[in-house]
Amino acid sequence: MPSYEMAMIIRAMPKVELKNALMRISNGIFDRGGIIRKIENLGYRPLPYKTSAHGLVHKEAIFFVFKIDTATTVVSDLKEEYSRDVDVVRQRVFKVNEESEHACTLETELLPPAYRKEVQEMIKMGKSQVNRFRHKFSYNSGLDYYPFQK
Amino acid sequence: MALMKRLFLKIVYTPRALTYNVRHLSTEVAHDDSPVEMENPFTKEKRQCILCKFNITPDYKNYRLLSQFQSPYTGRIYGRHITGLCQTKQAAVEREITKAQNCAYMPYYYKDKTFFKDPKLFDPENPIRSHRF
Ligand SMILES: [Zn+2]
Repeated sequence: MPSYEMAMIIRAMPKVELKNALMRISNGIFDRGGIIRKIENLGYRPLPYKTSAHGLVHKEAIFFVFKIDTATTVVSDLKEEYSRDVDVVRQRVFKVNEESEHACTLETELLPPAYRKEVQEMIKMGKSQVNRFRHKFSYNSGLDYYPFQK
Repeated sequence: MALMKRLFLKIVYTPRALTYNVRHLSTEVAHDDSPVEMENPFTKEKRQCILCKFNITPDYKNYRLLSQFQSPYTGRIYGRHITGLCQTKQAAVEREITKAQNCAYMPYYYKDKTFFKDPKLFDPENPIRSHRF
């Protein structure tokens, strides 16, 4: 079961109703055999752009992040269920980024163009292609003279 | 002419006499003074981009950090020649900003005004490579 992060934006409402909404969302995951690792509350704040959902225009909302583990096939099912939920303003599911160690390549990127690998490859590619300023066109007629009037 | 010659001789011969003296004094020490294999001590320190330096992985939930890479006028993401990030980190920043904008953490067309006084990580007026504009 891969890890996913569900960014849920829930409409502004009192605590009791919010609790019910969160229970409903969580139960949707549990019913499909998923697990919730963590629920993060990012707080109640104004939306950066007004969003209309289920016939209402929202300008403020409560932001939640669910860190879950579910089967991949279930994700579209969950999305469909939450799209019908009236309390959910917006929902996005992202796969959790894998930790990757990488060394900074800024030093090589700041070299003069002739020393940069990508530029060298570009020059090589350019050389392999036909130069239309130097290339002499051949008529491919098999004749050693031009048969038409020039 | 004679004076010139004398001066010339003086200039040429004085250092030799000196070196001779020095050599004579330090015959034993010269043995340890042989060339030593070492790295170039004058190589400059390897430059790193600001995210690699502090080992930060950009995340879409950290929209405050991401908004620092956004233009306050148009909300567009600054290019690599302005931000001074390496290719990997710039790609990660752009990807995470798109994600954050998509799930309404961050605006598309402006920068959140509460983040206007955040410290500047780079100066858009002085890019590493010149602008196209
Ligand atoms: Zn870097």
